[in-house]
Amino acid sequence: MAQVTEQPRKWGMVIDLDLCTGCNACVTACAMENNIHYTGEDEVAYGRGLYWMRIQRYWHGEYPNVGPEFTPMLCQQCGEAPCEPVCPTYASVHSNEEQINLQVYNRCIGTRYCANNCPYHARVFNFFDYEIPAPMNAYLNPDVTVRSRGVMEKCTFCVHRLVHARIDADTQGDPSLENEVTTACAQACPTNAIMFGDLTDENSPIRTLFERSERGFQIMEELGTFPSITYLKGGGVYGGRD
Amino acid sequence: MKSKISRRDFLKLSGAGLATAGVLTGCGPTSRYVVRQPYSSMPEFGQTGVSTYYATTCRDCTAGCGIIVRTVEGRAIKAEGNPAHPVSRGKICQRALTAVQGLYNPDRITGPRRQARGGGSVEEIDWDQAVEVVGQALQGNAGSLAFLLGGTPDHLFDLVTELAEALGAPPPVRYSTLQMFEGRSTLIAATEAVYGTPAVPHFDMANSDVVFSFGANLLEEWLSPLAYTRQFRQFRQDAAGRRTGYLVTFEPRQSVTGGSSDLWVPVAPGSEGLVAAAIGRLAAEARGGGVPPAFAGVDVNAAAEASGVPVETLTRLAEMFATARQATALPGGNALGHANGLESAVAILTLNSLSAANPVSIIPVEEEASAPQGSLQAVQELVDRMRSGQVSTLFIHGVNPLFELPSSLGFAEALAQVPQVISFASFPDETALASDYILPDHTGLESFGYQRVQAADRPVLSAMQPVVVPLYNTRATADVLLAATQQAGAGLDYTDEVAFIQSRLRPLLDANDPDGLFRADEMPTFWAQFLQYGGWWTQSPRLEPAEASASGGSAIRPPEPLQSGQLHFIAYPNKLGDGSVANRPWIQETPDPMVTATWNSYLLIHPDTAAGLGVRTNDVVLVRSEHGELETSVYVYPAIRPDTVAMPFGQGHTELGRWAAGRGANPAVLFPPQANGAGDLAFADTRVTLSATGRRRPLALIESLDGVYGEGH
Repeated sequence: MAQVTEQPRKWGMVIDLDLCTGCNACVTACAMENNIHYTGEDEVAYGRGLYWMRIQRYWHGEYPNVGPEFTPMLCQQCGEAPCEPVCPTYASVHSNEEQINLQVYNRCIGTRYCANNCPYHARVFNFFDYEIPAPMNAYLNPDVTVRSRGVMEKCTFCVHRLVHARIDADTQGDPSLENEVTTACAQACPTNAIMFGDLTDENSPIRTLFERSERGFQIMEELGTFPSITYLKGGGVYGGRD
Repeated sequence: MKSKISRRDFLKLSGAGLATAGVLTGCGPTSRYVVRQPYSSMPEFGQTGVSTYYATTCRDCTAGCGIIVRTVEGRAIKAEGNPAHPVSRGKICQRALTAVQGLYNPDRITGPRRQARGGGSVEEIDWDQAVEVVGQALQGNAGSLAFLLGGTPDHLFDLVTELAEALGAPPPVRYSTLQMFEGRSTLIAATEAVYGTPAVPHFDMANSDVVFSFGANLLEEWLSPLAYTRQFRQFRQDAAGRRTGYLVTFEPRQSVTGGSSDLWVPVAPGSEGLVAAAIGRLAAEARGGGVPPAFAGVDVNAAAEASGVPVETLTRLAEMFATARQATALPGGNALGHANGLESAVAILTLNSLSAANPVSIIPVEEEASAPQGSLQAVQELVDRMRSGQVSTLFIHGVNPLFELPSSLGFAEALAQVPQVISFASFPDETALASDYILPDHTGLESFGYQRVQAADRPVLSAMQPVVVPLYNTRATADVLLAATQQAGAGLDYTDEVAFIQSRLRPLLDANDPDGLFRADEMPTFWAQFLQYGGWWTQSPRLEPAEASASGGSAIRPPEPLQSGQLHFIAYPNKLGDGSVANRPWIQETPDPMVTATWNSYLLIHPDTAAGLGVRTNDVVLVRSEHGELETSVYVYPAIRPDTVAMPFGQGHTELGRWAAGRGANPAVLFPPQANGAGDLAFADTRVTLSATGRRRPLALIESLDGVYGEGH
């Protein structure tokens, strides 16, 4: 299992469940950014939809005191990722530069062990060769690999944006350029419930929230996966107001 | 929300600046006359591997959000929010995100054509012939012309208004399903009744500590979803991250807004105004100092009975409203879509006057006040004219009446009486295919334009510009109309669409507002900045607190009781909006927030009602109203009144290409043709009966149903 090592960057995310309205803008933004293929009604019904990100909706309460609880769910970019040691081809690997969990599509042979071992159901398998009819393929993002049948896919923390930002910062000699990078989901989120940033950066607004918010928790933290996403508990009363 | 422009944003705007260089030199997609060029002569800024960003405005609803579209080598890649734009502030929703799937949709109409109505022979024509057809129509009897446009207050509406005036033809009729669902005409009429100004008011939700939403689904589909979602965020948490604000929603079906509220009150459909009036009376009594005349005649017990909300709850909420620092009451959605909708809207708006601090303001926009709002009444009059043979040529742009209008209105039959129907649709929708000519307009990402924003906190004129060269042999409708007008000899003095838009920008340039986003001495510079920033607006908000006049509201009729076996039926818009975006696969594949369903229609039904009917999720039911019937799968939904069923709008297309056609059912067939006091459709007055068909049609849900309501594997 990949070990967390001291590196200049560690990208992380904070998701405030109190601000999430469940609107699903992040889901569409992720799809349009990352060339995620739509699968159609039948495949979604079979559970083969290619959602790198989804909003889990659970009901709580009974009518009329009933309401939804929304949890945006995506790859948690675990520090001790359960998907990594089970991959026979090292397609699921840890990156040193970004401290995230990468999926190398051209190594993947589709054993799906990683998805079975992921406690977050964050990985989706590409079952078919999907083709976007021309000219609609024109909008495909040139920075992101178009996946073919038989590989596992998942959230990359928009690693292409991180790489672009790093290159920009290097070539222009301005490290602050790299701090302004954000993921497609955080960029779209209308309430800023999703916040993205560098956890090693002292000035990053999310660092305090990530480490010290009284509402902060990590999903299934008892498994020791050390996720890079901290959720802030929603609902109820906090912050000294009753 | 960062208030300063970050470096990244600055870079984007610089990219847009490069685009405007294209305008001045005439070589980019934003040059005045857009020409196709081979890749070998790519403009200088189109470097391989380097993105160019263009600011424009989303056209998929009437909110007018500013977007920035990333393009690479002449292809539109992705739409993102415009961080500087006062409506969207860098944020974006599903419809704008999938705009590129509209632009590159393989089912687009690729050129002008003459066709037999309802399928059959299609004959491609060229634009000279097309302009001649339009020109001859305009030369005919002006009184027998009719223009039917979408609800967006854009440059085309202004041009057609001016054209109709010059020709002596009736002014354009507007219709927008989204505005109908939010009850916009009703809201404007109620604002006039309460505040003396016909306008879309601005509600200061951000600084309120209590908000009562009466049917306004502000987080999903109300006046300006992104702007009000941003207000919701400020309302929900203060700058220090402490939780503030208490949101109460009064609606029979729990919407996305209801799901994020602190208290959801399932009121009986049609009783929202009564509840507001009862709360108004109790709040005024709790506050002391007399009950306003509008609420004096309200019987609290009767309101409690009609709405199903106990008097204790009403009293508790009234005290909360009365003691709040700033309390806001929002009228919208299905609260206004009843026969008593106007009276309800007046009562709900009047409730705001009981707030300690006034949350309602109005931006004075002279033009908008005089422009007629699209409403069912105007469409009804048009249908009557068509039916009696008074319309010789009907021009349709930006609306799909055969899909959007209630079937009971008889638009289809009236359309058959019109000798010549000319559609400007970009997509083969139901109405376009029932026309004699389709003269396709560019899609939103290929065209120039502007849009006046109605629901912002300041005057905003949002800019549209092409982000790519037009894909097909399409032409701007404004250019077609101007060319035809010149041919007809009733010339408007504009050489083309851009000249018209610039003529409308001239007053802004001349006004030289010191608070304006930018100023310029002459039009080319003004125009370049207008496109670069994505529009013109003032840098600070410009709101005038609305003063309620003391007039009393009229009595609100309680809703008619349901007959045995009947259920209330509420249709609501979700991500599919008015249904015109149903041909984008990722809109279809994006799950509904509350239901997690994709790609189809469903009927929301309370578990007890479903059990009484003997149906479970995925069972198909027959839904029958007085005016029509449809079949759809059931979704057992715990957050809906047992006497109400609900269904999203937007599916049920018979045309509109491979991803939309033949999918789901269209609730418009069930609507009654009745309007409320302001001329908006009383869609929420629909009553239906349900019967099980014994068939099952599984929905494509993201959630698993295992263990839910006794469902097994």
